Amino acid sequence: MRTRLVALTLGLLLATTPLLLAHHSFAAEYDSNQPVKVTGTVTRVDWQNPHIWFFVDVKDGQGKVTNWGFSGGPPGVLQRRGISRDSLKTGDTVVVEGFRARDGSNNASGGKVTFPDGRSVFTASNEDKAPR
Amino acid sequence: MSKIQTNVAALACMLAVVLVAMLTAQSKPAGQVPRTADGKPDFSGIWDNPKEPGSRAPATVFDKAKMAPFVPGGEALFYEPRTGDPRHDEPRAFCMPSGFPSAFLGPYPVQLIQTPQYLVMSTEFMNVTRIIPLDGRPHKTDIEPTFYGEPIGRWEGDTLVIEARNYKRWSLDDYYYQNPKEYRMHSEAFRSIERLRRVDADTISYEFTVDDPKIFTKPWSVQWQMKRHPEWEKTGLYEMVCNENNRCEGGKCKQ
Repeated sequence: MRTRLVALTLGLLLATTPLLLAHHSFAAEYDSNQPVKVTGTVTRVDWQNPHIWFFVDVKDGQGKVTNWGFSGGPPGVLQRRGISRDSLKTGDTVVVEGFRARDGSNNASGGKVTFPDGRSVFTASNEDKAPR
Repeated sequence: MSKIQTNVAALACMLAVVLVAMLTAQSKPAGQVPRTADGKPDFSGIWDNPKEPGSRAPATVFDKAKMAPFVPGGEALFYEPRTGDPRHDEPRAFCMPSGFPSAFLGPYPVQLIQTPQYLVMSTEFMNVTRIIPLDGRPHKTDIEPTFYGEPIGRWEGDTLVIEARNYKRWSLDDYYYQNPKEYRMHSEAFRSIERLRRVDADTISYEFTVDDPKIFTKPWSVQWQMKRHPEWEKTGLYEMVCNENNRCEGGKCKQ
């Protein structure tokens, strides 16, 4: 219940916050014309500045596994919003939505994370363009 | 005493009472403004980043309606074209300084710590700290200009006036300014003047003045507001070491 409340609050916060850029420019690193949506298993979470990163193994139709990196908000900003390093754990199955890195690598901003039970956690920084 | 004299005396007494009442009402703050032992308003606390007054919108500097006209050549000095090189166009992507006041306008808290000698302003964003002497001492001469300038404070009644000089030519962007063609810069003649008033227990009225005689014909000002967040004092500001894991520096991601 509390988690749902947190998710709802985060959603509301996000809806009322300007979705713009980053400690640097979002536009300098990510392409808002290349939305990414993948489903996979969390393999690692780097709870570090200036933005958290989490990594997800994604299996394609042929069974080939690719590891994607996703950036979220700064740890301090997320903690103040009630998202802790335990919100995303290795082994979790997640759907991640974001925008691909400009260099075409398997890295992206990862502003929205949805769990199998439907819970959504918005890891976007206030500054990032975030999927709705 | 004649009747007229008595009436005049009574009227004078009434006026005096009304005047005292009005002065008392004016000097009484709306909410308790904390004061230091030396009687100054105490700005100490953790505050949200500056916002537009009465709004949740982040503070901006550059409303063209408020900007002063340019001096000849000033516009070209102010709007610097982006080049396509991220090291030039977006220094923040390399954890380089945002400049002032941009660094204080992002969506991160700002902590103020006040002593009789200094006001310390520290923002969680990039852990930028300004240590501001409050004795109105003269600005230094012949020093190397810096990204965040040399701020010096003085009191004008209950208003804290902070004047900063000795800035290196650097960004004068709004935090969110993202014009793909240009960004804004100040010259080394830039002087910033901040006027802070704690209007009630939870609010700072914040006037920011840009004075850059190489760019603008005269100083011009914008008004902001800061709100106190005592609930953030439990954790304080978080550390933000930008180079810890800046994985996609300038758009090239490390694997």
